[in-house]
Formats: sequence, C-alpha cells, structure tokens
Amino acid sequence: MLQLKRDYLDQKVLERLSTLQLHARLPMIGSVSGKHRSPIRGSSLEFAEYRKYVPGDDPRRLDWRAYARNDRYYIKEFEADTNLRMCLVVDTSGSMNFAYNGTSKLDYARRVAGTLAYIAAQQGDAVGLYCAGTGFHKEIPPKRSATHLSAMLDALGAMEASGETGLANVLHETAERVPQRALIVVLSDLFIEPEIVRNCLEHLRFRKHDVAVFHLLEQSELALEFDRPMRFVDMEGGEPILADPTVIGAQYQRALEMYLESMNTVIQDTEVDYHRIRINENYDDVLARFLLGRTPKRHKGL
Amino acid sequence: MGFLQPLALVALPLIALPILIHLINQHRHRAIPWAAMMFLMSAKRMSKGMARLRHFLILLMRVLAVAALIFVVSRPLSGGWLGGIGMSKPDATLILLDRSASMEIQDLQAGQSKRSAALQKLAQLLEQGDYGTHLVLIDSVSGQLQEVDSPKALLGLPTTGSSATSADIPGMLESALAYLKANKSGRVDVWICSDLSENDWAVESGRWQAIREEFYQLEGVHHFLLAYANLPSSNFSVRVENVQRWEHGNDAELALDVIVRSKGSSDTTRQEFPIEFEVNNVRSVVEVELDRQGASLRGHRIPIDTKLRSGWGSVGLPGDANPLDNRFFFVFSEPTVRRAVVVSDDIKNGEAFRRALTIPTDPRLQHQTEVISANDVAEIDWESTGVLIWQTALPRGAVADQIAQFVDTGRVVMFFPPSQNAEEQLFGSRWGDWQTPGNSSQRSAVSSQQEDFGIPSGNLLADRRQPTVSDSHSFGVSWWRGDTDLLAHAESGNALPLNELHTYRYRSFESLGTPLARFDDNAPLLTRIATDRGAVYFCSTLPTAQFSSLEREGVIFYVILQRALEQGSQALAVASQRDAGPEVLADHNQWELVTPVDNSDAPLHLSSQRGLHAGVYRDGAYLTAVNRSQIEDSATAAPVETVDALFDGMSYRRIDVDVGDTSALASELWRVFLFAMIVALLVEAVLSLPSKSVRVTPLIDLTVAGGKTE
Repeated sequence: MLQLKRDYLDQKVLERLSTLQLHARLPMIGSVSGKHRSPIRGSSLEFAEYRKYVPGDDPRRLDWRAYARNDRYYIKEFEADTNLRMCLVVDTSGSMNFAYNGTSKLDYARRVAGTLAYIAAQQGDAVGLYCAGTGFHKEIPPKRSATHLSAMLDALGAMEASGETGLANVLHETAERVPQRALIVVLSDLFIEPEIVRNCLEHLRFRKHDVAVFHLLEQSELALEFDRPMRFVDMEGGEPILADPTVIGAQYQRALEMYLESMNTVIQDTEVDYHRIRINENYDDVLARFLLGRTPKRHKGL
Repeated sequence: MGFLQPLALVALPLIALPILIHLINQHRHRAIPWAAMMFLMSAKRMSKGMARLRHFLILLMRVLAVAALIFVVSRPLSGGWLGGIGMSKPDATLILLDRSASMEIQDLQAGQSKRSAALQKLAQLLEQGDYGTHLVLIDSVSGQLQEVDSPKALLGLPTTGSSATSADIPGMLESALAYLKANKSGRVDVWICSDLSENDWAVESGRWQAIREEFYQLEGVHHFLLAYANLPSSNFSVRVENVQRWEHGNDAELALDVIVRSKGSSDTTRQEFPIEFEVNNVRSVVEVELDRQGASLRGHRIPIDTKLRSGWGSVGLPGDANPLDNRFFFVFSEPTVRRAVVVSDDIKNGEAFRRALTIPTDPRLQHQTEVISANDVAEIDWESTGVLIWQTALPRGAVADQIAQFVDTGRVVMFFPPSQNAEEQLFGSRWGDWQTPGNSSQRSAVSSQQEDFGIPSGNLLADRRQPTVSDSHSFGVSWWRGDTDLLAHAESGNALPLNELHTYRYRSFESLGTPLARFDDNAPLLTRIATDRGAVYFCSTLPTAQFSSLEREGVIFYVILQRALEQGSQALAVASQRDAGPEVLADHNQWELVTPVDNSDAPLHLSSQRGLHAGVYRDGAYLTAVNRSQIEDSATAAPVETVDALFDGMSYRRIDVDVGDTSALASELWRVFLFAMIVALLVEAVLSLPSKSVRVTPLIDLTVAGGKTE
C-alpha cells in the first residue's frame, strides 16, 4: 500500500474504492498487458471470435473441433488485454476557486483526480495530468511508474486556480498530443460556451479517446440567493458586475437553464461520459457511481 | 405658487440626495467573488431595458418624495400671484382699505360686498402666513394708522366697516410712506384693497409722481393691489340734487330734483322704474322711465303740511348690487333770505354788483343786497350774510380775521380787484398790477408759478377751449371749468358763454388757488382758494364796461354771483346737505341721528363713525342730511393699465378678484404634497419589491448518459 502524504486523499475512500476497477468504455491500445480490452487480438483467455483460416496462419491456432463439425478450418481468436492511459484534465481557471463551506471546486477536482489517479495506477494504468488555466499550467504525460504517480499527486496538491480558463485549448492539444486511445477525464465547471465544449469533445472523440466529464457546480451558483445589490467580482479577472439579484434573478435562472439544456444537447451528441456534480456531494460516492457506471455489464461472444 | 416658509426651499438641492446615495452605494455594495459570470452577463443583457426603467423610476420616486417633503415643510400656497415676491418674510404689513361707498357693491348671490370680501380674503391669507411684527391698517375714512393685533381682528374693527364716503388712495399711500419713513422697517408688504374707482385714485393727480419718487427711495416695499374692478351687471343710484319748500297760500309743498343713474345695465330697452319718496313718514311711489343713462325727475312736487316748516325725507330705489346708493336723504326748511354785502369804494361797480345780486332767480326767494364802503365794514351783519363781495384793498387785522371766520362757517367771499394799489395779502393771495392787452403778451408770473407747483391747468374732462373774442383791445377766455363750481354748465346742459366775454383790463394776482377760468395769456380770470368750509374766490376783473363786458353781457356775471349767493346762503339755512366724511359733523357737537341707517352693521354708537353713513342728523333746530358724495355715483373704475402705470418702477402686483369669488386668495397645498410624497414612496416601495421568487433549477439528473460503453 502506498504511503500517502497528500491530505486531499482520503485513505478510507481509497480503501473503499479499491474493490472497484476503472474500466475504459472503449478498447484501449496500451503498451503492456493490462486489464483493458484492446482492438488487437491477443492471447488472453477471453474468447473473442472465429475467423476463416488463411494460409500463413499458425496451424496451432486452428480449432479442430470446429473443423470436425463443419469440415472447415477456423482460427480461434482471443481478446488482447492491455493497459490504459488516463489523462486527467483539470480546469485551473480562477472560477475553480469558487468555494462552498470552505471546499472549492478545485479542491473537489483535486480529490477526484487524485483518487482516480491512484486507482488507475494501482491497476497498472498510465496516468497523466493536464492543468488548464492561463494562470497555472501544468502538463504531465501519462506514465505507469510509482514515482510518476507520486510526482503527479504532488502536482495535484500544488495545483492553484487563477486567471482565465484554458480548457478548450488544453483539450484540443490533448486530443492531438496523446497518440493513442486514452481515457480523458475532464474536471471543470465548464463556464464556457457549450459550442466550444462541443468542439473540444468532438475533437477528442474523433481521436478515439474515451472522454469522461466531471462538471463541477456549486449550489449557490444555481440561483442568486441574495437580497440586496451586490458587486460580483469575476474570479477569472474580468470586469466586476454590479447587479441586484432581486431584479435579475429570473433572467439569471433563465440563462442558466438555457446553458444546461445546451450542455445536455452537447453531451448527447458527443456521447461522452458526463457527470454533473454538486461539490457538496461526497466525492467518494461520485467516484463509486462513476466507476460502477463504467463496469462492463456483459461480454460479447459468439 | 408662494410659500409660507420659503426658507425651507433652500433645502431643495437635497432632492439630489437619492441620486448621490445611489452613486455612493454603487461603490459601497458588498463585493463577492463570483464564478458564473457568464450567466450574470446574460441576465444583465436580458433585463437591460426593464431594469434600467425600473431603476430610473425608483430613483425618480425617491427624488419626488424628497422634493414633496421639502415642499410640505415650506408650506406652499396656491395662487400664482405670490410667486417672485422674494424669499424673506415681511417685517410689517400695511393694509390700505378703501371704504368708499362704491366698495359696498355686493355679489347678490354671496351677499358679500367688495370691502368685506377683500377683508375676509386678506385676513385669511395673512392668518395663514407671516405678516411680520406689525400689522397696520390705514382706512380711507380716517387716513390714520391703526395697529391691528391679528388679521382676524380686521373683520370686527369699526374702522373697516362700510361708509358712504369717498377714498383718497394717494393720501393713504402718503400716510403709508410717512409710517415707513418713521419706522424704517425692512421688508414691508403694502396691501391695497380697492375697486379702482377713478375719483378715489385720482390717477391724473400730480401727487402720484411724488409718491413714486418717495417709494423709489425705500427698499423692500412690495405693493399688492387687491383689485375689485369689475362692475355689477346692473346698478342704480339715486340722488336728490335740489330740495325747495314752497308755500302757495295755504298749501305747502316740496319741489325735488331727483336723478337716477344707471351703471352697467345691459338692458337697452326703456323700462318703468319705481322711486319711493318718504316725507314725514308718508310714503309715495312714482314710476319713472329709465333709459341706459338712467332718469331724472325735475321739480317733483310732494304736498306737505304747511305747519311742517322743516323736516327730512328720503328717496329710495329697489334693492340692487349696491345698497348704499339706493337711498338718498334730504332735509328741507323754509327758504332763507339771501343776503349779500358788497364792500366797494367804486360806485359804478358797487351798483353793478347790487343789481346782479338783488334780482332773485326765483320770484319766491327774497334777496337783500347792501353796498357799503370800506369804512363801514364794522356795520356788516356777519351772521345773516350769505356772500361778501370785496372790491377794495385786501383787509388786515380784525376784519381779515372776521372774514376768515365768515368763510369757516360755510359762507362765500368773492374778491374783486381794487382800484387802488394794495400790498396786503389774504388767503395766501395778493393783488398784482393791472394788465391790458398791450402789456400782457407774456404769460403772467403767477400762472407760471402755479404750473411750477404742479397745479394742473384744469380738469381735462371739463376743459373748454373755444374760439374767443380776443383782439388787440381785449382778452378772451380760453379755458374754464364747466363741470363744477361757479362756471358749471346750466341745468339745460349749455355752457356759460364765457367765450364771448371781453376783458379790457384785469389785475393779476399771486395765489396758489385753483383756477376756474383763464385768459388767452393763461392768466386766471377766476380762482378758487382751497378752504375747509365755505368758499373764497378771486376774480381778476371788474364788471363795468371800463374793465370787461361782464355787466353788459350780464349772463355770466349774474350766474356767478347768484351761485355764490346760493352757496353762501345754504350755510345760513336751517337744513343743509352734506357729503359723508369724518369731519362733516364737526361744526356741532350735538348732532343726533334721526334716521335709521340702511346698513345695520354700522357701529353708529361710536362717535368716530358719525357722519360716515347716510342719514339725517339734528341739532336743535338744525337739520343736516349726510349722503355719499356725488362723484361716488358717477365715477367709473380706472383702467387697470392706468393703475398699473401708477406703480411703475415699484415692486407691485395686481390681483384681480371678483366680488363673487369666494375662494381664498391662497390656500395651503401641503396636503397635496404630502399625498404626493406618500404616493411616491408607495410606488417606490412597489418598484423595489423583489421579483417573484425565482425557481431554482434543481440539479437533478446529474449524470447524463451521453456515452455508450462498447
């Protein structure tokens, strides 16, 4: 068991989630043997399919029983198990500092990302980290070593949120830079236009990446529950806005609904694994739901 | 709009307070770090128009509320005439009240006269506002200043009651000036309540220029004219111009000349009009036919008991807008012997006077004329003489005193030029040199002196300039007053033929009297000296042919002397007619009212009110009838432009009021502004209410199954 010194990781949560495995929803192309399906046939025990024999095939892989039944030569193929590359993309824009009861969205993202990284590393998967923020930018390509995990957890602990978001650019870059299929886990409040999000997700999907999105929101953001005019200071450094929540509350709510509906459409269209999270939820529950949701329910066969 | 507390308006800039607070609050709002700015910006964009309008309205309501509060404190008054007075309160308020008979014109529906309406309005206004530390009343009757405790007290003062007198508005302003100079007050409001009657205002008088110049030197004096210039649609007045008691054998009768004047009547058709006569408690009614001008009843005869040697009566009209001119009192007695004394050293002239004075105008009258020399003055029976003709050197010493006393008792003295040189002076007048056409081409020094003193050259209405018979040997009369006094027109309306008069020699004289006729060279032919009672005339020529054609032409000379004799003899009569006034009964102390007075609210028990109301007074055998002056019946309202011009260059505001207008001059509007403030605050509160509770979007369905597991 890895000795954890990062206070954002909870030992109990890790132990509870250790019984669950992180699965990719899509076949992965790994560098070593692992627990994830690969598009390439391999020598695992799990049957994949039959195919007709063609000259040059290894005669040792002929299924003689099938020959006996059909009088034809079939080659019996098995799944290839490989490892997973998981890229954690954390939005480190200023808005991620928005806190609820002392826990900011960034803290929440840090816990989710750290726990996922730990779980993936325990499975032997490679884990990388990409911080998306103009004020704080960090890029750690996915690797499998224990030291790499340690460095990455340190990087997660040192993560700070400031400046405008660079999520769109980072996602586009990640889509291009990660050479093979990978699990891209995005942790962000996604306070950008849904169409921009659509472009990023479509880009990632085009590159055959499995994309999971943790949309982090805070309850107080969903309604302007103030009874007097306030000066709203943009946490990403923009111009402050003086507004009376009693006056513009309805319009705010309408804008939020429109945004969420648009986001729903984007998610439906891009087929990403989307999780809209209130950060006052326990993150272990969220992760358990996430992991269970990705567990394959049945296996394909003949 | 005016304000009772105008100083509160200094706080008006406070209406910017809500705007200021709004601006300050923009920088004082609690700042909160916010992540979801994109929704805020969208919301702001969506609510831009309505929110701005709402904000603007809220701010406007707050400004209006503050403004209304300030107006409430400043106690606004309705009525635009108070605007622009100034910001300070008056230190003193002077009220100049016209109590003339014409101010008793009533609104028949309201039953309130112009005088009482003006008093009521003014009292109400001053009660609401601040009238300063002194409230001073100057009434037209007494002309005296009277300190009043409170505006309400104005309504109950005897000195604000009705009267049958005339007013002297310039005189009242002069009294106000004297008060202002003596007290050196700061800001003073002078309120003049009048009906702008021409005779009361004397708009042509030279006194106005002096009054204006005096007021120019005073600062902070504001004049307000409460003008009741509107005349009633119809009003009739009655007057008895002449009363004679005649006896024919065993019968006695009264002969009356009655004049009914109509003012403002729009009915041009002739109509029958009843005139009620009352003599010795016997009433009779005569129907007369009225036209637009009125009617006259000359020589109306009323039979009386022959034993009734003297008495009184009245002539009445049906009630109309002005009750004070609907009744006229008269007194009568047996005609007295008209006695004249001529003091002359010139036999021819003395004889001329005697002939003109001896022939009576009515054969039923008795005339006695005595011609004596200057040395026999001691023999004059002063008590029974009506007119004294003095054609010798002006007297001095005891004789001069005797003549002054003679005039004070209402008799008439006429001075004619003596033949001898004389340096004596009497009644402020002195004879000068004889003038002939050859040596009087220039205006006399006396005339120019008169003009220098601002004495008008004559009443324009009565001005008579006609072609004269002036030639190189004689002077012609170019101007004379035909409306009143000795040279007035005859009863037929024809002017006296003064334009046909030849004057070959006249003697100039220095005098400050009022000319009644002038020669071509502007030198006076006939001048009247101002006296309290009686009359003093100076005539600059003599009747004989050597001096003028007075005796030869006859008519003018006869009329002048007969009118003077009649006027002087009236003072000897047991019965006399007098115009109402404060001093009209000053000659006797025992005058007692024998007739009721029409206006029952008149405080007749006060000695100060005696003689101010129409009625008949008796003192032993003497009777006198007091009535409004003749000019009150005929005077019309001066044009408001003319009246305004009198106050040219002064702080002045005219407030035209109708007698039927019962609304207050100014009413406080603070309730309106209080209501406006409440409304503004309510609207502001409604606008500031938070919008309907916003339904918060629940974050259900947090996990969207967008992805498919292969």
